[in-house]
Amino acid sequence: MEPSYRNGGFNFCWRLRYLFSDPKRCDVVVVRFAGSKVMLLKRVVAVGGEHVEFRDGRLLVDGKAIDEPYVRYPCNWNLSPRDVEKGHVYVIGDNRSTPMENHYFGQASVKRVVGAPLW
Amino acid sequence: MVKTKYILIAAIIVVAGVWATVFFFPSEEKKVKKQFALLSEWVSKDPGESTLTMAQKVRKIGALFAENCELKEPVYSLSGSYTREEITSIALQGRAHFFSLSLKFYDLNISFPETELARVTLTGKLTGKPTSGEQMDETRELECLLKKIEKKWLFSQFEVVEVLKK
Repeated sequence: MEPSYRNGGFNFCWRLRYLFSDPKRCDVVVVRFAGSKVMLLKRVVAVGGEHVEFRDGRLLVDGKAIDEPYVRYPCNWNLSPRDVEKGHVYVIGDNRSTPMENHYFGQASVKRVVGAPLW
Repeated sequence: MVKTKYILIAAIIVVAGVWATVFFFPSEEKKVKKQFALLSEWVSKDPGESTLTMAQKVRKIGALFAENCELKEPVYSLSGSYTREEITSIALQGRAHFFSLSLKFYDLNISFPETELARVTLTGKLTGKPTSGEQMDETRELECLLKKIEKKWLFSQFEVVEVLKK
């Protein structure tokens, strides 16, 4: 999530953030693995029912280019269009300088979103 | 005064007994956790590890696995069934690519669907400095099956859970 958040950094998770609402595009969310000791910090780029793709490093949701001011390092990613299933969000880190194959991103169940960083 | 002394001695005996029971007769859950701790210790590698240490660790890794172990890993096309010898060989080759390596397990959730079978969901974190390339840092959710064979819990299946689906 660099430069927005330092890799391996320390932060607090606001667990009640999505108690009454679902994550929206551009939200930074905390995604859990098997438990609560190790979590991922990712940005929501598309929600359930939307189509997401990358064309020459540009993010397109439902065919429209999305402005991403939080991305500092340009990339040349190409990802064929895919549907985001209902009850899921599509999450990606802000640091796109790494090759797409090495970047851990994709569709996650909303049930795995445990909250948002406090700051 | 004498009564108090006897009560104290009895209490010490009870505490020692409980401690001995826990220590000498660990629960099945503790035995399963111990296998993960051993796997973590033996996969991990310190910089400048000697050939002798490496050979010992790799041999011990193989002993943690059942005769056949199933790997379900959709991303890197590593899925398949591996014998203990193949796992030892993969461990040897894999560790050779790193100056240092650290494998840690978090959030172990253990259940026993059958008497001789343990299912464990956990988070595995592998970090290392390869001999070429950048620092590696991989975190994955895993679902593992361990079978109790000849009183030992042995790894029989590893499945990488797809938390983020590209």
